[in-house]
Amino acid sequence: MLKMTHLSKAYRTEVVETYALRDFSIHVRPGEFVAVTGPSGSGKTTFLTIAGLLEEFTGGEYQLDGADVRGLNDNQRSRLRNEKIGFIFQAFNLIPDLNVFDNVDVPLRYRGFNGAERRRRIQKSLERVGLSARSKHYPAELSGGQQQRVAIARALAGEPRLLLADEPTGNLDTQMARGVMELLEELHRDGATIVMVTHDPELAIRAQREVHIVDGQVVDLVAQPRLVRSGSQAQI
Amino acid sequence: MQILPILSAMRRNKVGAVLIALQIAVTLAILCNGLFIVHQRLALSHRPSGMVETDLFAIDNEWIGDPTDVSSRIRADLAALRALPGVVDAANTDQYPLTNSGWSEGIDLKADQQTRSAFMSLYMGDEHLIDTLGLRLVAGRNFEPSEILDRGSTDRVQPATIIVTRALADKLFPDGSALGRSIYVEGGKQPTQIVGIVERLQTPWTGTGGWQEKYFEFSVIEPYQFVDTGSWYLVRTKPGQLAAVMQSASKRLLELDRNRLIQKIEPVTDTRVSAYRDDRGLAVILAVVCAALVGVTACGIVGLTSYWVSQRRRQIGIRRALGATRGAILRYFQTENLLIATAGALVGIGLAIAVNLWMVTSFAMPRLSPVWAVLGALLVLVLGQLAVLWPALRAASVPPALATRSA
Amino acid sequence: MFAYYFSLAVRSLKRNVVLTVLMIVAIGVGIGASMTTLTVFRAMGSDPIPGKSAELFAVQIDNWGPDSSGSTNGKQDRMQNQLSYKDAMNLMQAHPAKAQSAMYASSLALTPANPDLQAFRVHVRAPYTDFFAMFEVPFLYGAPWSSADDAAHAEVVVLTRALNDKLFSGANSVGKSITLDGHDYRVVGVMNDWEPIPKFYDLNDEKFSKGADIYVPFTRAVERHMAIEGNLNCKDNSESGWEGRLRSECVWVQFWAELPTAAAAADYRRFLQNYAAQQQASGRFHWPPRTSIKNVREWLAYEDVVSDEFRILVLVSFSFLFVCLLNAMGLMLAKTMGRARDIGVRRALGADRSAIFAQCLIESGVIGLAGAVVGLLLTGLGLLGLRTMLSRDIANLTHLDVIDVVIVIVLAVSTTLLAGLYPTWRATHIQPAWQLKAQ
Repeated sequence: MLKMTHLSKAYRTEVVETYALRDFSIHVRPGEFVAVTGPSGSGKTTFLTIAGLLEEFTGGEYQLDGADVRGLNDNQRSRLRNEKIGFIFQAFNLIPDLNVFDNVDVPLRYRGFNGAERRRRIQKSLERVGLSARSKHYPAELSGGQQQRVAIARALAGEPRLLLADEPTGNLDTQMARGVMELLEELHRDGATIVMVTHDPELAIRAQREVHIVDGQVVDLVAQPRLVRSGSQAQI
Repeated sequence: MQILPILSAMRRNKVGAVLIALQIAVTLAILCNGLFIVHQRLALSHRPSGMVETDLFAIDNEWIGDPTDVSSRIRADLAALRALPGVVDAANTDQYPLTNSGWSEGIDLKADQQTRSAFMSLYMGDEHLIDTLGLRLVAGRNFEPSEILDRGSTDRVQPATIIVTRALADKLFPDGSALGRSIYVEGGKQPTQIVGIVERLQTPWTGTGGWQEKYFEFSVIEPYQFVDTGSWYLVRTKPGQLAAVMQSASKRLLELDRNRLIQKIEPVTDTRVSAYRDDRGLAVILAVVCAALVGVTACGIVGLTSYWVSQRRRQIGIRRALGATRGAILRYFQTENLLIATAGALVGIGLAIAVNLWMVTSFAMPRLSPVWAVLGALLVLVLGQLAVLWPALRAASVPPALATRSA
Repeated sequence: MFAYYFSLAVRSLKRNVVLTVLMIVAIGVGIGASMTTLTVFRAMGSDPIPGKSAELFAVQIDNWGPDSSGSTNGKQDRMQNQLSYKDAMNLMQAHPAKAQSAMYASSLALTPANPDLQAFRVHVRAPYTDFFAMFEVPFLYGAPWSSADDAAHAEVVVLTRALNDKLFSGANSVGKSITLDGHDYRVVGVMNDWEPIPKFYDLNDEKFSKGADIYVPFTRAVERHMAIEGNLNCKDNSESGWEGRLRSECVWVQFWAELPTAAAAADYRRFLQNYAAQQQASGRFHWPPRTSIKNVREWLAYEDVVSDEFRILVLVSFSFLFVCLLNAMGLMLAKTMGRARDIGVRRALGADRSAIFAQCLIESGVIGLAGAVVGLLLTGLGLLGLRTMLSRDIANLTHLDVIDVVIVIVLAVSTTLLAGLYPTWRATHIQPAWQLKAQ
């Protein structure tokens, strides 16, 4: 699904060249739930933005769902993002001007579906995250957990191949965080491919496997099967 | 206050800064020229005519049919008017100032000249005209009753004697010897002697530019009773009696002879208002536009600076946390505004002068002194500082605690 | 997608009321000011007789010569803008054009039939009969007088509708008699409303006000020595009396000819030059022939109908619009960049650059439309202000027609789109990664 080989990302200023990612390789297969961890500044956010086609990379190769993304122009990348990827951000990033229904609607508008198709998908997404009753509410009227769930519904509405989550519970209290993680695990059980960036080891454990990044490079590959159970921390 | 750091911080907001500077520049250019025109037009509308305009009114009298004895009718009218209670004096003439309608002629120093020495406007009146209009005789004498002859609008004659304005006298005889000298008027071969000089009497026209302004004070009075189908009666009243006399005068004239048309009776002060109506109107419009311009630019400064303040809230909080006082933050934004406004003002001064030069050639406007442009620039800088005060104060009240927040 | 972006725009503007109001007011005020002056400017410079303006020509003959001291009214080419009586009569006799008319303006006292009513002054125009056909003057009752009437110096008049309403309560007054300056005249026709603006056929006095109240044959007017109103310009000395004036080189007659084709115009030009050459040969002119014909548009430009004051006002008001647009641009920039995060989110969700471009552009368009409404209201107000502050002459020009309204809308929307171009461009180049990374 997501395959990066010897990927590098350099930031050049006039004087100095810094590498956010260096010789970075990762292979996420369909249906996997991978956690990407590492200390602050390790490059995990950069990895996510590149994976999400939000940024270009300097060297190496990146294949998304079997297709090489190098050389794609901006329009092509937007389409790819729209059709194949669902984003979940730490800060939710809902559009405050729009209500829940219209927020979930946004990616569908760029897809070109007609009104009936959009409505069907939105309703389905909102039901999946349990927020059908709140479709007319505005983000300001919802709790953090509810906002994140709307964001998840938005990510799901286009039926993407890959879900990219950046610290999805970072802005939530423990109870809400638990609810969101449970939802992610449910989605995974239903067959979704999820890549989640987090600095919280307790969350990382709930994923299937963990990739650890330090200074732009993969340091540890912990590929052990885990027991996925709500609320437990089993370490094998 | 370090200017360089402020300048380099501004590079992130280049476009916004340029927008404000540009607004200030254009506003300044228009303000300088606009207010200059306002001043010019208002000055124009206050030019003294030479008449004492209070307690003076004009009657537009026209004879119906084609009476043959117009001369005696006019004389009877004048006698009746002069006899009315409240009337100081009255005179009959072909034109009067501020009507924008009149008779202009050439005037020569010698007979048989190819080109005119000067142009003048021709007032006709008897010995009562000077007192009726309230003109000031500064040299020589008024006409004698025996000198007054009749003249119609199609008669081509030259008077033996003439009274001129001081401006015309100085133009024709710069050495000051006008009194008693002879000139040739209306292309005639007979000399006319200057017997009197009045301080001031403007020509009837009040327009700007061109020959109207050039010959503005070149008038003459010729010793004629203007005997024609239509003429003006000017009447001077005792103070406070204008309205009453205007009423009684028209009644009396119609009593004397119904076969006439009194098209208009108007105080001369009203004539002045109509004459300069467009100039005053232009002045008002320009003043309003200038005020609006200043308002719009001020709003632009307030709006954009408020946005910059909101963008930099975190940065301001950090500065405060590091020890900057409220005053320091305030000064930061005021300095930033001053730098932008100064740049705009410098461009604006150049623009104001350029616009003025173009108007001088295209519209025959007088030149704007650079002093006005610089004063205008200072005014605009002060206004800019006032405008930025509110957003700058808001910036200064950003709490230092903001530095510790993550968003 | 258009409807989607439109509703997004409206919603976004509603949520940010202060900013929105500032933007709309900035644009509205700028549009109001510039359209106020533009409306009057358009009216001043408009074609007063479209459809025929290329076929009607004002005639000029240089009868003063290049050495003449010239009066103060000579134009740049030092030709007078009116003809002398002599030349006018010669041209009328030769009759080389399809239709032509000499004319001048006068004023007379009209004594109503009702002895209780006061006599009042009427403005007179004294043309030949061709005037009415040439200028396509519509008639309510009756018809213009005939050429026979011209030749016979007939005592006939044509009334304007307004005068007919005043004297005869609007009834058909053909055949009735009126008294001008103590003499009786027979009404042969009543004109319908006819007010070309500017009053191109005679620009001597007020250029935009309504014309004469009553029309009298030129020949009759001259015979009755009806006083010359407008501009009378004499060169050097001339003889005394009315006859002397007719014989002189004084110019006071306006002269118009109808020349329907280019060939006719060329012929007439040749004819005029020949005529002037004859005058030179006969000793009346001592200079080479100089003549000119100008069609209506050329004539209006030559006579400089638009006053300098107005040109200045138009320039000032459009500079004001420019400042307002800069203002609006700054505010739109602030609004757009203040929403950078939302734009980044949309990009992340799959909007490409053109989608963001379209969204921002449509938002600019909505602001422009709102600005147009405000601008229209302010234009109406501005025109009202002009009407009260400026002289009656200009007041006739202060009316909004449909074209002006269309111009307002087009101007407002297009200038707002232009002002919004840079903020829109900035919006499309927002890097989603930057926005979403930065907390």
